[in-house]
Amino acid sequence: MKAVCWMGTSKVETLTVPDPQLLNPHDAIIKITRTAICGSDLHLYDGFIPTMEAGDVLGHEFMGIVEEVGKDVTNLRRGDRVVVPFTIACGSCLFCKKKLWAACDNTNPNAHLAEASYGYSGSGLFGYSHMMGGYAGGQAQYARVPFANVGPLKIESDLPDEKVLFLSDIFPTGYMAAENAQIQPGDTVAVWGCGPVGQFAIASAFMLGAARVIAIDRFPERLQMARSLGAITVDYSEEDVSVLTALKDLTGGIGPDSCIDAVGLEAHSSQLQGVYDKVKSALMLETDRPSVLRQAIQAVRKGGTLSIPGVYGGLLDKVPFGSAFGKGITMKMGQTNMQTYMRPLLERIEKGQIDPSYIISHRITLEQAPEMYKIWRDKKETVTKIVIDPWAENRV
Amino acid sequence: MATMLNEKPNAEELPSTGAAGMILDGRYLPPPEDKDGKIWIRTSALIQAEPQNLYELWRNVEAAPSWQEQITQVIATGERTSHWAMESDGKTIEWDAEILADEPGKRIAWHSIGGDADTAGEVIFEVAPGGHGTMVTVLQEFRMGKLTSAWETIVGRNPKQAVIENLRHFKALAETGEIPTIQGQPNYDRGMIGKLKASTYGETVPTPSGTNSL
Repeated sequence: MKAVCWMGTSKVETLTVPDPQLLNPHDAIIKITRTAICGSDLHLYDGFIPTMEAGDVLGHEFMGIVEEVGKDVTNLRRGDRVVVPFTIACGSCLFCKKKLWAACDNTNPNAHLAEASYGYSGSGLFGYSHMMGGYAGGQAQYARVPFANVGPLKIESDLPDEKVLFLSDIFPTGYMAAENAQIQPGDTVAVWGCGPVGQFAIASAFMLGAARVIAIDRFPERLQMARSLGAITVDYSEEDVSVLTALKDLTGGIGPDSCIDAVGLEAHSSQLQGVYDKVKSALMLETDRPSVLRQAIQAVRKGGTLSIPGVYGGLLDKVPFGSAFGKGITMKMGQTNMQTYMRPLLERIEKGQIDPSYIISHRITLEQAPEMYKIWRDKKETVTKIVIDPWAENRV
Repeated sequence: MATMLNEKPNAEELPSTGAAGMILDGRYLPPPEDKDGKIWIRTSALIQAEPQNLYELWRNVEAAPSWQEQITQVIATGERTSHWAMESDGKTIEWDAEILADEPGKRIAWHSIGGDADTAGEVIFEVAPGGHGTMVTVLQEFRMGKLTSAWETIVGRNPKQAVIENLRHFKALAETGEIPTIQGQPNYDRGMIGKLKASTYGETVPTPSGTNSL
């Protein structure tokens, strides 16, 4: 089959690899009908996530048709149409029983690698480094899905793929971010990063009762999208704009009730600290560039909540923890407990409350994927979301 | 003293001694130190299953190859004795083992009795605090010998890590009926460095099959 493979930092290629096989009794093989490139794939592209290896199949946002199931998969059969969550959960361990699916104890075959750096291992993830399980990803024509009786969500309506594909990661991730923000009716919520997760966090914050959402980014098209959802936008790259001042101005001086960092470890900053982090990470004195996190901690109101769906991978420098303590804030974060959110969010899509496909800017083939990684990373085109049809032939 | 704290609605009585020497008179005790050519590993897992079922899975020595790394065959040679074979770099290492203590649902202790291994261990099954599953604790000692050096030099796992991984496999098998693996999935050619890294990650150690077949 054809698959998008990580071949080194800034090196992604579409190559022919063997078709996946059933390896365990709860496996399913999915013929992928739509897949996407996630903003977090750019962290892999840029080499920020350790333990990626040449030859790894990328991709963790995919859906398709069940081709084959292992002998212990009882709820799916050949021909079923499913969306696959990016976190793999066993459904039986203590954490799955507590519905902390992203903390599943049994799905990372390389758990010892994560234990060495994180203390404990979270669940296995598709296409997201060997420390996270080393599972082959879904930017391919087929994928093997372990514990298929727990993860995949069956789509029984005739909704098109593009409307339900984002249930695989970014819609539940944005939703959980809003839930983690502990929004009370009438609250003001600030969201850093208006990429796909930020978009769904904005939408979800409104769905969960926010009176006002303030969206922070620098790309006009993303800010436009945020305004079309009803948010007030702040362009941090504009001269004379200070995000902290803007957030004070817009909240009567108290700061937002909740802040959501939908940017994560590769934050850009127009100020001196951006240079500082660039130098430190180049010297390997820190692994992540936490400029949004710093700002969000400063900005959130006393006793407020900071929710972090943006990915962080390692060690952070100069995090203003005294501010966090001094204001008594709550921080909630982590990979998305996908299985909790997929069905209720599918219902919201079915009821017409939201059409997640509005974020799509590019529809491409597998062969076009390597170039699109580069274009998106370098921000050469207006990219909000890239969707791949793995069976489409290249347009000439 | 008795009046210092009278409200502990869910506190459980402390054992005077804990599994594998972990608690003594309310104090935590660290695992035994490695010395005199002997190495020790103590590890534990919280498993969502009954102690009795876990005991039975562990006690079925002939099923050990389905969850213990590198073990190719175990033959029960008596009520309490068994013959073990481990495959490593094309060579077979063999030894005999004897069960010293067999307390159904609670504890199994064993030692090797000749052959290429010099090891002893015990596994304890206890209901976890709050009834949140079963706490399984393994304490094992090895003397450096053919078994330990084969493990260390060839498969990229030292014997301590092998005990940790085996308990992880045991837990996955007990909770889910399979052992997670990525061996046999597609990837593009990794090149020399990629293959070396796979070995240091422990990915070249064959994942035990689990009891179920496809």
